[in-house]
Amino acid sequence: MPAAPDVPPAETTTETAAATDALEARIGDLRAAVRRAIANGDRQAARVLRSELRQAEEAWDEAVLGSGGPAHDVRRPLVPVRDQVHQALTLLGAPAAPKLIGSVYAAFFPGDIPGSRLTSLRRDEERSFRTAPYARPFYLCPALTADLLSPARGLLAVSTWPQAQRIVGPLSARADFLTAAIRVAEQAGRGPDGSGVQRLLWRFAANIPGATAGTVGTVDPAVLAEAARAELDVHRDADRHQRERAAERALAQLDDAGRLFGSRLHALRRTGSGNATDGENTR
Amino acid sequence: MTHDSALERLRGGAEPRNHDARTIAALTANPGCARRGIMDAAGVDKDAVARRLGFPAPFGQSQFAITRGNAFEAQVKADGCAELLTLLRDRLGLDVPEVAYDDLEVVAGNESRELRHARTRRLLERALSSGEGTLFDHPLLRLDIAGQPAYLEPDVIAFQLGGRFHIIEIKSFAVIDGQAEPEQVAAAARQSAVYVLALRRLLEELGAPAERVSHEVFLVCPENFSNRPTATPLDVRPQLAVLGRQLARLTRVEQIVGGLPDDLTFELEAEELPDAVRTVEARYAPECMASCEMAFFCRDEARACGGTGVLGKAVRDDLGGVDSIGTALALADGSLDPSPDLAETAERLRTAARLRREALTA
Repeated sequence: MPAAPDVPPAETTTETAAATDALEARIGDLRAAVRRAIANGDRQAARVLRSELRQAEEAWDEAVLGSGGPAHDVRRPLVPVRDQVHQALTLLGAPAAPKLIGSVYAAFFPGDIPGSRLTSLRRDEERSFRTAPYARPFYLCPALTADLLSPARGLLAVSTWPQAQRIVGPLSARADFLTAAIRVAEQAGRGPDGSGVQRLLWRFAANIPGATAGTVGTVDPAVLAEAARAELDVHRDADRHQRERAAERALAQLDDAGRLFGSRLHALRRTGSGNATDGENTR
Repeated sequence: MTHDSALERLRGGAEPRNHDARTIAALTANPGCARRGIMDAAGVDKDAVARRLGFPAPFGQSQFAITRGNAFEAQVKADGCAELLTLLRDRLGLDVPEVAYDDLEVVAGNESRELRHARTRRLLERALSSGEGTLFDHPLLRLDIAGQPAYLEPDVIAFQLGGRFHIIEIKSFAVIDGQAEPEQVAAAARQSAVYVLALRRLLEELGAPAERVSHEVFLVCPENFSNRPTATPLDVRPQLAVLGRQLARLTRVEQIVGGLPDDLTFELEAEELPDAVRTVEARYAPECMASCEMAFFCRDEARACGGTGVLGKAVRDDLGGVDSIGTALALADGSLDPSPDLAETAERLRTAARLRREALTA
């Protein structure tokens, strides 16, 4: 930053020094406050303080290092992670594991989803919903298991989907895999054929009977979609039946948060009693 | 009860160590070893004892091997076991509608073993009666080892291959050109046999015939130098027989305990720990190094007293009745007169010594 000509340079430095001293004092105070908040178990306050601390540190960076340095060039994705995941899930149209979400996003959208962010995403979403229900247009939530209506391991879904779509029964893993294959093949048929897309198509085609009719190593999206539809026809009705039965139970038994994020304690108490749960009797 | 309290005394008040498929499989490696038998039956922490004795066993699975194994397992099971289903359909003729997948690793966000075992039981019971369910991921089985329940987790159970359960074991060692390292396969077979046995016990408890669990397990390994999985059927009947015998022997551990001094304990802090361990006879063979935490101590002991086991199981068996290398040498050069039951062995030793002399002088 070039100094204004009518201000003596020495004064500028002392001013900056005073400002940075104040900033450093504030950073120190904020750090202590974050620590206190964590020690008191108040994570909400800690997060607020932490973001204030980050702002103060950025201001310090600016004051000491000057603006426009490479440090400010850290590539932030233009789209927040939750929107990235939402886009990929909307394309897939079925609950999916973070790994599949990542490769779908990388194949069809610009940029990558940073894997480390996905782990905390689900927790953040649930906390956000519980503090202010329905404040956001959509939430990313876990898929729920059909028998116990508890969060399924490592499967993400979108809150705006119908309840039955967010529930996974025993057949759903395969049915959703085939649904995803059809959706990905359709999307690939519309757009340009990158190497990422081909890899993704291959991942589906290799494990669906009759999907690899063409030349070795390449996948025709139309053939893949056709093969996936053929197998999906076998499973669809049974799977839908199980999911809808479970969805009815979820609507009848659970509150709003439970329908989105699953019931842990409820399910535990029920299994703890030793009786077969509804899900296991009605399946 | 006295039996239980005796085992507790042997542990020196410590908590019994849990068995897993690896340690149970290792039991069958050297059934003749009383030291190992008694320590395992009592659930003594052999690793801690060996360290205390100054012979720490520097093994345990390598972190890299564990990571690789987990990554391969995750790959095979990704997308609703997509790769596994393809394999089972191609190789074993699994029907297309058979795709049900039940995840038993977590029950309603809870990983407690009792809960998981209860759920495993319930789902298998349902599968037995109605035929529902195809793949059961990480079921939790239980096997009683000398009165102590041990919890076991096979990688996957496949069901509905002609109405029988099959254990599927996912391993990350490569099968190259249809061949895999025999030692690795043998270890996998021993481990799978433990699962088969545990599953059979569970089915018997549920009132179904044990034969509904197949003795044929499927080993899923990377093929050649790729990451693509391949499935190989593995007949584990021999391992099952050995395991059954060995476990039956473990439950008769009272007899071994009965023959021991009343005040014997393997308490870690005790001064006389080395003497206590020596009181129980070991049966060292070089193979012990691969599976027993006490191996370094036993090897040192066997070398010190010139035990024939140091030279390998084959030599020890050939020299049946001759305990030490020194005795064998004395019999060979004729400086020791053999007792009548050793006459034959002595004769063969003398012949061997004569042949060796002739070969060296010629």
